[in-house]
Amino acid sequence: MRKQYGALVVGAGIGGIRAALDLAVTGHKVALIDRRPSHGGILSQLDHQFPTDHCGMCRMLPLMSRDSSSQYCLRKGLFHDNIDLILSAEVGAVEGEPGKFLVSLNRSSPLVDPTKCVSCGICSTVCPVRVDSEFNAGLTKRAAIYLPVPHAIPNHYVLDLDNCQRCWKCHEACPTGAIDFKFEERKDFHILVADKDPEVRAMMEKHLGESNFPLHFTENGAEAVDLLAESDRFRLVLLGLDVDGMDPERVLTRCHELHPGLPVVILTDEARREQAEELVAQGARELLVKPLRSGRFAPWLDKLYMRIMSDTTVELEVGAIVLAGGFECYSPASDPAGGNDVWCYDHPAVLTAVEFERLLSGTGPTGGKLLRPGDGKPVRSIAWLQCVGSRDVKKNADFCSGICCMFSIKEAMLARKATGGEAETSIFYMDMRTAGKEYQRYRNHAEQDAGVRFVRSRPHSLFPDDGGGIRLEYLDDEGRLVPETFDMVVLAVGARPPKGTDRLAEMTGLTLNDWGFAQTRQYSPERTGSVGVFAAGSFGEPRDISESVIQAGAAAQAASRIIKAYDVLAGIATEPEPEYPDVSREPPRTLVAICASCPTLKQTVDIEGLAARLARVHSVCKVATVGSACTPQGWADIEAAAGEFKPNRILIGACMPYAYIPRLKELGRTIGLNPALMDVVDIYTATFGGKGEDDGKAADKEIHATLATAVARLQGADPTPPPVMVDVARSALVVGGGLGGLTAAMAIADHGYGVCLVESEEQLGGSAMRLHTQLDGSDPRKYMEELIAQVRKHPNIKVFTDSRAVLSRGIAGRFRTAIASPDGVFPLEHGVTILATGAHEAKVYESGLCVHGSVMTHLGLEEKIATGQLDAGALSGVAMIQCWRRRSEDRAYCSKVCCPEMVKNVLALKERNPDLPIHVFYRDIMMPGFLEHYYTKARKAGAVFIRYDKENPPKVAFEDGKPVITARDPILREDVVVRADILSLSSGLEPNDVEDLQEVFGVEVNADGFYREADFKWRPVDFLKQGVFACGTGLGPRRMGETVASAKAAAQRALRILNAETIARETVVATVRHSLCSLCQACVAACPYGARVVDLEHGRIKVDEILCQGCGACAAVCPNSATVLKGFHDGPMMSVIDAALEEPA
Amino acid sequence: MSSEFEPTILAFVCNWCTYTAADLAGTSRMVQQPNLRLVRVMCTGMVDPKYIVKSLLSGADGVLVSGCHPGDCHYINGNYKARRRVKLLNEILPQFGIERERVKLTWVGASEGNEFAATVNGFINEIRELGPMEARSMAVV
Repeated sequence: MRKQYGALVVGAGIGGIRAALDLAVTGHKVALIDRRPSHGGILSQLDHQFPTDHCGMCRMLPLMSRDSSSQYCLRKGLFHDNIDLILSAEVGAVEGEPGKFLVSLNRSSPLVDPTKCVSCGICSTVCPVRVDSEFNAGLTKRAAIYLPVPHAIPNHYVLDLDNCQRCWKCHEACPTGAIDFKFEERKDFHILVADKDPEVRAMMEKHLGESNFPLHFTENGAEAVDLLAESDRFRLVLLGLDVDGMDPERVLTRCHELHPGLPVVILTDEARREQAEELVAQGARELLVKPLRSGRFAPWLDKLYMRIMSDTTVELEVGAIVLAGGFECYSPASDPAGGNDVWCYDHPAVLTAVEFERLLSGTGPTGGKLLRPGDGKPVRSIAWLQCVGSRDVKKNADFCSGICCMFSIKEAMLARKATGGEAETSIFYMDMRTAGKEYQRYRNHAEQDAGVRFVRSRPHSLFPDDGGGIRLEYLDDEGRLVPETFDMVVLAVGARPPKGTDRLAEMTGLTLNDWGFAQTRQYSPERTGSVGVFAAGSFGEPRDISESVIQAGAAAQAASRIIKAYDVLAGIATEPEPEYPDVSREPPRTLVAICASCPTLKQTVDIEGLAARLARVHSVCKVATVGSACTPQGWADIEAAAGEFKPNRILIGACMPYAYIPRLKELGRTIGLNPALMDVVDIYTATFGGKGEDDGKAADKEIHATLATAVARLQGADPTPPPVMVDVARSALVVGGGLGGLTAAMAIADHGYGVCLVESEEQLGGSAMRLHTQLDGSDPRKYMEELIAQVRKHPNIKVFTDSRAVLSRGIAGRFRTAIASPDGVFPLEHGVTILATGAHEAKVYESGLCVHGSVMTHLGLEEKIATGQLDAGALSGVAMIQCWRRRSEDRAYCSKVCCPEMVKNVLALKERNPDLPIHVFYRDIMMPGFLEHYYTKARKAGAVFIRYDKENPPKVAFEDGKPVITARDPILREDVVVRADILSLSSGLEPNDVEDLQEVFGVEVNADGFYREADFKWRPVDFLKQGVFACGTGLGPRRMGETVASAKAAAQRALRILNAETIARETVVATVRHSLCSLCQACVAACPYGARVVDLEHGRIKVDEILCQGCGACAAVCPNSATVLKGFHDGPMMSVIDAALEEPA
Repeated sequence: MSSEFEPTILAFVCNWCTYTAADLAGTSRMVQQPNLRLVRVMCTGMVDPKYIVKSLLSGADGVLVSGCHPGDCHYINGNYKARRRVKLLNEILPQFGIERERVKLTWVGASEGNEFAATVNGFINEIRELGPMEARSMAVV
């Protein structure tokens, strides 16, 4: 029976997690898979993210129905009631169509039974193998049996069969027998060998005796088929190409007919390899080239046996597929063209960016100290080399990876911080691409305040230096060859499509672009070439976290539409919410279960004494000692004890408390007790390192205190009341009728909710209507006109042009807004608000714009070219200036659209007049992602790009009304004078004025006037105020595709609220005891979520349970203790403190 | 100061960062002195100063408040609130004969298990140096 899901999300990195969560919170069941044995993708290796240098990943967790998901650090683990996380799994086959894809997953077994493994680590210690650790990017070694990510939950050991030497030492050492090499089942693993080669038979009979596999030999293909037909005992077939009686192809087909799934391995000689490969394509498992050598064959067979016996396939039926495979970093070591000779990568002082990131990490090889691998010398000077494996036509990487500039700045800042400012940091770059929101400020801060040196130069040679460092040679601004020695060189490696993308593309039918990333559509970047299959995160293009999260939201939105359209949910039965009896009136009766299996605890702690003392603690009704709580047996013991003593609080003392959280939920269902009344505490940590008797006593005390504290906390725990019914106005208000607003309106309306679209202009379309072409040749106007027509005739959308929102009151789910339209002011009830107010071309009154007809903006030039007002053939020269009044002190942001716009104009002019001289003055060309390719094209077309510094901008004068531009050419190192017919300026984007809306909707803008989101990386389309979302250029400069993605992401976030019928009450939420409240309103000011308001009518403080996140800031400021956080009342907190400090009797 | 003295430290740690780090220190089998009593709170911003004073009066020789790094707070700004409170407490406590060193605020991120172990061990050593809290024996509660 196939398990049914709304969607399958492939890849559990940031993009995958975001897409899965976005779908899960709107009620869809999601299967989230990753081929790695841990979730989190590349982010599990990175501790800090730009532009805040912090993490904050946990802010992605749901804000409503918080108890349905994990409430701890997201880097550690993730669970959600609607998400099944399937790790170590890859997509094996995809069939079917949108709405009903049949997917089989190949799940590779860790060979360690997760229900038995207690993560003691003994196996890793005895393992003789040492290979590069993936987690530490090769800077440390790991055993063949290892913990993939030290901080992940659940953290069980996995066996890396490829590197295993089959010494079985771990199997012998494992105290719980968790490692299963399937020794017992070998005698039933019948192998059929159909081959004529006598040597094969002789070798196998001679050397496989120890392996215990029953072998059956035949030289005849027909006979082999007969044997297979007779019995189903065979588990493996080795098929030679030279069998008699029947040709091997036919044998293979018959094998599959008789026993589907029976693995067949082809034995071939080198000469007939091609034929064998064909058979593999037809379904054979793999091929082996003869002659077979026992030394290689026996281990191979052993491993194959273990894979066949342990690996499983999981069959799913899903409505839509979201691909979030992320990217892999370019590896100089495995580059066939050789990364070592170019970048000296084999030198220990040369690291890739990820390796450096691990070096800086507390969980890395040096515990966060900046020491050089190899000699361990403190690092005092570091150079970053940009564009390693990106922007490199020779390496088929004519694209910009988009992230490296920023992560290099971040790493430089972190390095300065880690060494207390002692490390000199230099970044060698071609263009510093700081195109994202606030990125330019980040760079300025790094340069001006943090002391990071930026050198615009591409070092051409790296040489090992005598002192163990690296000598770089580069050309400086004056054109001199400068040698400089650094203690360490970090390569800012670019992105590559993840391994297996081509196979995934084949299975799902999507197309790949020239560089192996999924080809997506210009105006819907989440859509691939295959209907029902969507690209999230950076699967379609390398992206940073913020853009990946937005892209994931857009993909979730698209998947959600498919699920809705095909009514996928109809077949999926939802589990009813468990109901727990109300125990709030009963005196607390606590069952304490102590796990006593681990040897360390037994050695150091007197468990009987501990149990006896605990039994005297108030409310404890029974102390049970169980074998190992983490094993099924131990768990059954706890269940039995719970059944016998009928406690209304359960406390388990064991190790790794986080791993128990899903189990507590299960236990709660079985015995009918709310999991909020159960807890697991760690009693093992105290026992590590203690040796003497005194230490034992101290550990004793600590463990007792830990358990007693937890008992005290459980006593005060509040049972969660039943869910609240919410009265949500099931419609949305979208402010702004440009690309973002229209897209968001369509997305919500297609889900069956009403949308009111308010546009202040008389026409819909916004600034996108001013565009005529796009770089890929598509027609943005046509797209906009179609979109406007769709919106106009959509039954769920009401459009109000020439209108404004003038007043809004209420909270998420229940807004009342006054709309001023030409027909008067009318009230509107709506559940959510999306602000898509957009941006406009900035006004520039310099360099003769608006004075001389020969000066225009890029947009004006585009219009003139497209409408034919300008005859490119008649021009004698064109000059363009980038970053005009952008990225300076007052406007410290990149507008992101001007460089593509400029390149578009260059290419359009060059197409009409290939000989036209075009000079472009620029500071940094911002062409992230695959746009880079057009920049290359523009240079090839003959446009001259001249860089200028912020301090020395080009000077513009006019002769006979024609512009004359004088600027210093840094390559020629002299002033150049360019005379042109036309001067085109990039004026950039400025956000539309939203001062009124800020007040109406209670939202904020940043220093540049763009909306301030709740969190730039993790909640990029949310406002802090729940129920209000933003998208498009009002949020920050973006191109059309990105605007569409942000609009869809915002719509998906909004659907969460529109979908809500009941909202489960949270375990941890603040309430007010009105009789004690003096209405001082200190809590209202302290609440970071605006969840508190003064209810003037009733004279009390009202808490919105949806907005409240349970941080307890209000409780701490309340002078009367009138405000309390459930589960953390003063009373219980005081008892917890007492219990923690009490000397055991 | 007597070398026999073993202080008891009470630590208020936030659910999102430091508690996770403490767990990581545990699962990574880092050696920690057994003088610590951990109290998990949702956010350091909810640590009422009275909890700290209560802890000192009830037998803690030192109180550690540890949360997310500035800017990392899951609840946006709770750690800043904690910082203000602890700073004020540090000003006030000496007036009651309690050494300001006994209350300490630190930031320990979720992945910094080693940092947590080091912070705790360092703080325990500091308090061991400082000796038992004399103000407690004189206090009239």
